[in-house]
Amino acid sequence: MAASQRAELGASNVRLIKDKAARWGVTLGGGLVLMALLLIFFYLLYVVEPIFRGVEVEHQQSFAVPGQGQTVAMGMEEQSEIGYRFADNGELSFFALKQKPGTDWQPGQVLLTEQVADEPTAFAATQPQNKRYAYAVANGQARVIEPKFRSQFTNGRRLTTPVVGFANDGDLVQVDPQQRTLKQLAYEYDGESQLFAAVTADDKVIVNFLQASRSFLTGTVELQSKFAELPITGAVDNVKVTPDLSQVFVRQGNRFYVFGISRTGNVSERQILTIDRRRYGDITSMQLLAGASSVLFGHANGRVTQWFEVAGANGRQYEYIREFQAGTSAVTDIIAEYYRRTFYTVSANGEVGIFHTTSEANLYRENIDGIKADRVVIDPRANTLLMQSGDELHSFNLENEHPEVTWSGIWQEVWYEGYPEPQYVWQSTSGSDDFEPKFSLVPISFGTIKAAAYAMLFAVPIGLAAAVYTAYFMSPSVRKVVKPTVEIMEALPTVILGFLAGLWLAPLIEQYLPGIVATIILIPLAIIAFAAISTVLPKTWRNRFTDGRAALILLPIVAFVGWLSFELSPWVEQALFDGNVRQYITNELGITFDQRNSLVVGIAMGFAVIPTIFSIAEDAVFSVPKHLSNGSLALGATTWQTLTKVVLLTASPGIFSAVMMGLGRAVGETMIVLMATGNTPIMDWNIFEGMRTLSANIAVEMPESEVGSSHYRILFLAAFVLFIFTFAFNTVAELVRQRLREKYSSM
Amino acid sequence: MISVTPNTSNVESLDLANLTPEQTALEIRNLNLHYGEAQALYDISMNIPKNRVTAFIGPSGCGKSTLLRCINRMNDLVEICRVKGEILLHDKNIYDKNVDVAELRRRVGMVFQRPNPFPKSIYENVVYGMRLQGVNDRRTLDEVVERSLKGAALWDEVKDRLNESAFGLSGGQQQRLVIARAIAIEPEVLLLDEPTSALDPISTLTIEELITELKEKYTVVIVTHNMQQAARVSDQTAFMYMGKLIEYADTNTLFTTPAQKQTEDYITGRYG
Repeated sequence: MAASQRAELGASNVRLIKDKAARWGVTLGGGLVLMALLLIFFYLLYVVEPIFRGVEVEHQQSFAVPGQGQTVAMGMEEQSEIGYRFADNGELSFFALKQKPGTDWQPGQVLLTEQVADEPTAFAATQPQNKRYAYAVANGQARVIEPKFRSQFTNGRRLTTPVVGFANDGDLVQVDPQQRTLKQLAYEYDGESQLFAAVTADDKVIVNFLQASRSFLTGTVELQSKFAELPITGAVDNVKVTPDLSQVFVRQGNRFYVFGISRTGNVSERQILTIDRRRYGDITSMQLLAGASSVLFGHANGRVTQWFEVAGANGRQYEYIREFQAGTSAVTDIIAEYYRRTFYTVSANGEVGIFHTTSEANLYRENIDGIKADRVVIDPRANTLLMQSGDELHSFNLENEHPEVTWSGIWQEVWYEGYPEPQYVWQSTSGSDDFEPKFSLVPISFGTIKAAAYAMLFAVPIGLAAAVYTAYFMSPSVRKVVKPTVEIMEALPTVILGFLAGLWLAPLIEQYLPGIVATIILIPLAIIAFAAISTVLPKTWRNRFTDGRAALILLPIVAFVGWLSFELSPWVEQALFDGNVRQYITNELGITFDQRNSLVVGIAMGFAVIPTIFSIAEDAVFSVPKHLSNGSLALGATTWQTLTKVVLLTASPGIFSAVMMGLGRAVGETMIVLMATGNTPIMDWNIFEGMRTLSANIAVEMPESEVGSSHYRILFLAAFVLFIFTFAFNTVAELVRQRLREKYSSM
Repeated sequence: MISVTPNTSNVESLDLANLTPEQTALEIRNLNLHYGEAQALYDISMNIPKNRVTAFIGPSGCGKSTLLRCINRMNDLVEICRVKGEILLHDKNIYDKNVDVAELRRRVGMVFQRPNPFPKSIYENVVYGMRLQGVNDRRTLDEVVERSLKGAALWDEVKDRLNESAFGLSGGQQQRLVIARAIAIEPEVLLLDEPTSALDPISTLTIEELITELKEKYTVVIVTHNMQQAARVSDQTAFMYMGKLIEYADTNTLFTTPAQKQTEDYITGRYG
């Protein structure tokens, strides 16, 4: 007896271990799922976070200004190892910015000095990315200099050596044929042609367009000079030319002249703009932003205003766009970055400001390390800042990776260059380096909602009706077949649905548009009409079609109406729409029609969502306790009354869940929207136009985005937004479901 | 042997085989019922008198609930169920082709074993049947609620919380609410399918007292597996066994001097 009791205890120990193991196993599994979710969440945040970081400036080196004279321009090469400085005495000096292993370089050590112009009278610099500089010398002539850097690799080490390069073979260019002394100079170069603008000693503004023509026989480029004098009198403050050589800007105080230069060198007056002194303040400096579409004015009151051309009644005219507060003292210098829309300001009190125009971001405004800045310059990669303060140069490490992204820039309307008004635009890439990226998540979030909405419009009525019918009216034997069949549809790869939608359904809908629309309207009407007719049929007739067999009679009616709609479609098209619905919609109604449009997505994605909605809603309706519906029937309710007043009410938490799960699926769905829409990030509810969704946007652009770039991080942000979307939908769904369940749960 | 106290109320005995039309609520004629291949009821014929309580007793699976469900055609909901024979309500066979089942069920109400209030307020539960008939007038409904809840002896307990969920009530209260809901539409016959089997003894007693009152206005048919209950509340009792009606008589007669051996065996606890 005792032995057998011990044996039982032994056995129960094993059971105890199994029980413990199972409990720990389940806990571990649940914990891991939760952890995986959190990991995704935090990884997304981790990738996204840098775009909201501020600017960091860190002091590197300080040294005496190399060379003689006053600085007129400075620059750096790509690696920020070597700087160069143009002085007002015509001297170009290259100097080391930091110590470099394998060399004896010391910061500030002069590597090369050359007198590139004798007794210069004026100086000009191109936009940073063109890297050319010009000195005006005596007799209205100018020399164009191009600082160059040669890289050699020895023993696996890169050694960069500076070289003084000259454009036009080092020849002097006769800017003014009348040989007047040039007081001011502006210069640009577009790869072949060159444009000079200058102010002569007698305050005349002249333009000289050196047009390149390539000889077909020898391939050599010949420059032909085309000279013009601009109709401006009086002293001039600034002259600028655009890098595409199409415009010349002249500033006289607060008066701003825009001249157009044709490709043949003809000059025409485009616009004369008087910048309101009281409203904006006196202008103290002027600069072109990267891309040269925007002009920035620095004002005496510390403001910087941005102006660019906006199409209006008088053609494209420069207009005030936005402003930045760069300080309280006059803005003495504005420096544009090489490619991005970031600019740097230097104020009279030595403050340095860093701003980004598109995102309207005030990134930085300070006397860096308490030093009073006279002049700053930025390197091509925008990570080194060189500042002159008196006789000293200071180099700083600059961390400003993602100035183009701000929370407001992503979610609010932004006035992009060249646009007639502020808009929500997603356009992340383009062919040119100095393109202004447009990162508004609004159009793609809108696209997500639009796609989901049209899909739900299609899927919810069909899914719920099918679920209610299957759970409540269908005979159990048929239900046993129908339910798994619909659920298997869920396993259909969405890429196939997308493929069919894009390549088969979209052209079909385009061809039979009246038929499709008629089907959508007529089939429900036909069903209702048939139901109405059946009520007036004799009772004996009707009783023959009880218990779910009525659906069998409906099938041919649905099929017939569908067939009829399609058969009549060409006739309707001929009779009502002049033979081509697509043209009619576009021309007569003025509605854009894309072949891959929201209707296609609605149907295709609706098809993908229906099984989700059907399955959960069917379970919900089916699991309404029989004693509830029996209770209702026993009170003299018809089946329909029982359904609407008791069954649906009791199943409402489940039905709601079903719809929300469907919505969650529609929001996250990628392949169908990717393949069946044009992926145009537009904001329009038009059912005949496409959209671009968050998920499709990620799928389309992630492969082509540079890892770590703003674009890359914004795509992660889009993923995060999508995550939040589905998270929010599911949370709201769960909360509402809990509330409903509390209210309508049955025992 | 269990002791059964027969109903001592002074109800005049009726000749159940030959009731006058005024005395008759329902006539069941040669009723046979099949579930698929299996026959559940064999040739049942009986008269159910008006304003009386008739009890169906018998062991589990004897077909007493099935018979009850035939009376308001709840068996129609079972797909494989076939019914042959007639049940006459006012000389009209309820199994005729042109009978509106919903209207039949309105006139023959039913209360189930488990309380099944709807997920609605107490008020809405009671007026559910009225609303089905299209009655939405607030004053009429208020009157119906008060009358029905009083009729189900529930009014005093719930009159201050009519708009609260019916799920807040106890099991016994819920069952009385379900009875109130059934009598709100003033049926002629009230079918009770083991109405107290899910309830505690106190609630059972309340419901039993209620049943005795209900017969003033309604014909009550009750299925119970509890013989004491049948003896306490019913005026006549039918004993069923294996789908057959074995004996149908005055409750007093059936419990004191059963005519059939099977009946005697059952009420003395030999099986069941």
